Amino acid sequence: MIWKLLRQHISPLQFLGFFLANLLGMLIVLFAFQFYRDVRPVFSQEDGVIRNDYLIVSKRIGAMGFGSPTFSKSEIADLRSQPFTRSLGAFTASQYRVSCSMGIEGVADFGTQMYFEAVPDAFVDTDLAQWTFKEGDTMVPIILPRSYLAIYNFGFAQSHQLPKISEGIVSMIDMTVVLRGAGKEHRLRGRVVGFTNRLQTILVPESFIQWSNHEFAPDADASPTRLIVEVANPTDDRIANYVKQHGYDIDEDKLQAGKATYFLKVASGVVMGVGLLISFLSFFILMLSIYLLVQKNNRKLQNLLLIGYSPARVSLPYQTLTVGMNLLVLLLALTLLSVLRTYYLETLWAMFPTMKEASMTGVILVGTVLFLTVSVINVWVIRRKVANL
Amino acid sequence: METIRLEHTFPAIFANRDELNSEVWRQDVTFERGKLYLVEAASGTGKSSLCSYIYGYRNDYQGVMTFDGRNIRNLTTSDWTKMRQRHLSLMFQDLRLFPELTALENVQIKNRLTGFKRKKDILQWFEELGISDKVNSKIGLMSFGQQQRVAMMRALCQPFDFLLADEPISHLDDRNSRIMADIMVEEAKRQGSAVIVTSIGKHMPLKYDHILKL
Repeated sequence: MIWKLLRQHISPLQFLGFFLANLLGMLIVLFAFQFYRDVRPVFSQEDGVIRNDYLIVSKRIGAMGFGSPTFSKSEIADLRSQPFTRSLGAFTASQYRVSCSMGIEGVADFGTQMYFEAVPDAFVDTDLAQWTFKEGDTMVPIILPRSYLAIYNFGFAQSHQLPKISEGIVSMIDMTVVLRGAGKEHRLRGRVVGFTNRLQTILVPESFIQWSNHEFAPDADASPTRLIVEVANPTDDRIANYVKQHGYDIDEDKLQAGKATYFLKVASGVVMGVGLLISFLSFFILMLSIYLLVQKNNRKLQNLLLIGYSPARVSLPYQTLTVGMNLLVLLLALTLLSVLRTYYLETLWAMFPTMKEASMTGVILVGTVLFLTVSVINVWVIRRKVANL
Repeated sequence: METIRLEHTFPAIFANRDELNSEVWRQDVTFERGKLYLVEAASGTGKSSLCSYIYGYRNDYQGVMTFDGRNIRNLTTSDWTKMRQRHLSLMFQDLRLFPELTALENVQIKNRLTGFKRKKDILQWFEELGISDKVNSKIGLMSFGQQQRVAMMRALCQPFDFLLADEPISHLDDRNSRIMADIMVEEAKRQGSAVIVTSIGKHMPLKYDHILKL
């Protein structure tokens, strides 16, 4: 009955205006937030194998191929003694011939010549129980560059009508590794235990390289061509200067990804800001509508208070109305968001098949916080307005 | 609540008047539960002001007003809400009914709050007051006299210690005044409460315990 009284003078148009504006604002805020969360891992993918604050240093190869591509002992010692260096490890390459074939159920249908490299185990950020090799073991753990999988999935599988394979499946495939050198041949199984974006090489445990180089290429020179350096602060200017002076290269991927993430952050921030602004304005539309409504129904509200209704009871219909609308906006925005999301996620997945889907928990939380904040203010303002009649 | 006391109370706008010549303003007056009072007044002497001060929606007065010794200026909003649900009822001179609602809804909007009367009893009143055919009519379409009867029914739909009736019969004929007076006094007696009626001439035919000139 109170509702019958108080719904007088409600302007559907004003409320529709508020509703749409608030929906738009909410949707933009939530979309920006979710998009940022979905896309960010693409730029700043945690590698899972090589920590992001390691730099990989190699020698720049001259135009004519002059100059040794390997690091001498003194060069390594010099780099190790730099103040920005925390620790340093050398890449050791296999000095013998390696071939590898991959097959399902013993049928070898994919074979290639390849090589191995190793870095000190301390630089490999993977489950160390898997990352071991002792002489006599029949299985060697391997870490592959993630791009190899992409090449297979998008180049090879696509054109040969083969199924695309995921990282999980690769780990289950048996590889046969054949080592040849010094007149000997040795067969063992290889198992992929991880993937990395940081290293374009096939990584095996250092103990395996030491054993196999000694066994199959006892006389070869194993000077490293690349070094892995843990630095205190990757943005330190001295690193760039040192690298430039000595004609070295460092992988700039990380730097580029950092910039992209930064722009993504700025863009999402701006979009979210716009969304918040719209939400804020729609909040004012609602407040003005409510003020107007209270003003127009002033006498009715007063009379209700005079015949013994409490301000809380009189405020309740308008509070329910606004909170209900806010809730509806939240639910609708989340629904729309999940629909919109499927569109861009498909595209993203096509580009980055290894991308892990971010959960929507965060965005639900953000929406709920926004909803609660706005609702609490609405409830409080209406209550105050009624109490001041 | 047993007593309403006015201690040297008068409307603030009367502050410059030397001669008030009133038995209420600037006097010490006590209204007691269980009694019938008539406050007679000429127009412009502050009759409705008195009701609004006691009912707590205006406080532009000087002096002190107390309920059972408690200064009513100290009552909180929730105190007043409780007061208007359980202890004090006012039949407004301007009625303050809701034109969008029907006659019955106007009574029920109060009764739903207090849960005090059964619908049957309310319909019985409509019958007695001769407006049973208007139960479901919009208040806006009824005459002022008919509206006065609805307003009175609404005022009776709650427990009260004091019932203030501000010119309750200004637009009623003698027969209906009589019926209304009977219903009102019967309800007041049943509750053991006081009735304070104001009037500017025509007044309810009751056996008043005190008649005060405002």
